[in-house]
Amino acid sequence: MRRFFRLLLLAGIAYAVWKRLAGRVPDETAVVSFADGSSVALESGSPDFERLAALARSALWS
Amino acid sequence: VLASAWMDVATALADLTELSSQVRRVVVIGADDAVLGAAPEGTDADSLARAALDVVSASAQLRSDGDVSRVEVSLEEGALFVLREGGRIIAATTGPRPTAHLVAYDLRTALDAIATEPAPAPKKPRATRTRKKADPPVETGDGDE
Repeated sequence: MRRFFRLLLLAGIAYAVWKRLAGRVPDETAVVSFADGSSVALESGSPDFERLAALARSALWS
Repeated sequence: VLASAWMDVATALADLTELSSQVRRVVVIGADDAVLGAAPEGTDADSLARAALDVVSASAQLRSDGDVSRVEVSLEEGALFVLREGGRIIAATTGPRPTAHLVAYDLRTALDAIATEPAPAPKKPRATRTRKKADPPVETGDGDE
């Protein structure tokens, strides 16, 4: 029985760690591709990203 | 299927919204920045087009030779896709966490279908009257051997 609870505790800790790590993955991204095949990924929080995000929000809510 | 033949904007967008369940609203903009079409019905095409053009303009400023071909902005509340090809732009909104490459593929296919000019109908060969030659005499095989 004690072994079972220990396993349950470990599973719970693993789940909590996974949730915390998954939460770090940014949900908001912006990628701009150019005609020459190159692309730029803008980090969430950067001024360029925020500018595009504001425009995208206006499109989403229009 | 879409790219196989030229189709008008309304048909291409109707097909797109039917095939791609992730696309919520879509607009096509011509080379002169005029709205060519939008779907579904009731979409504020002008607002969506203005936002798409502003996104392209802002993205172009990221590089000096910024010939933007595609922009994806993914937010918590949804995503905006803008694709540019041959002077035309197609922009679409989706819900949160879309399958980006599938949406982009569907949008490009729709844009290609609209951009492809109809192939000229093949000319029918002119009917010429030819006098039928008289049938050769049929040998009956009754000849002496």
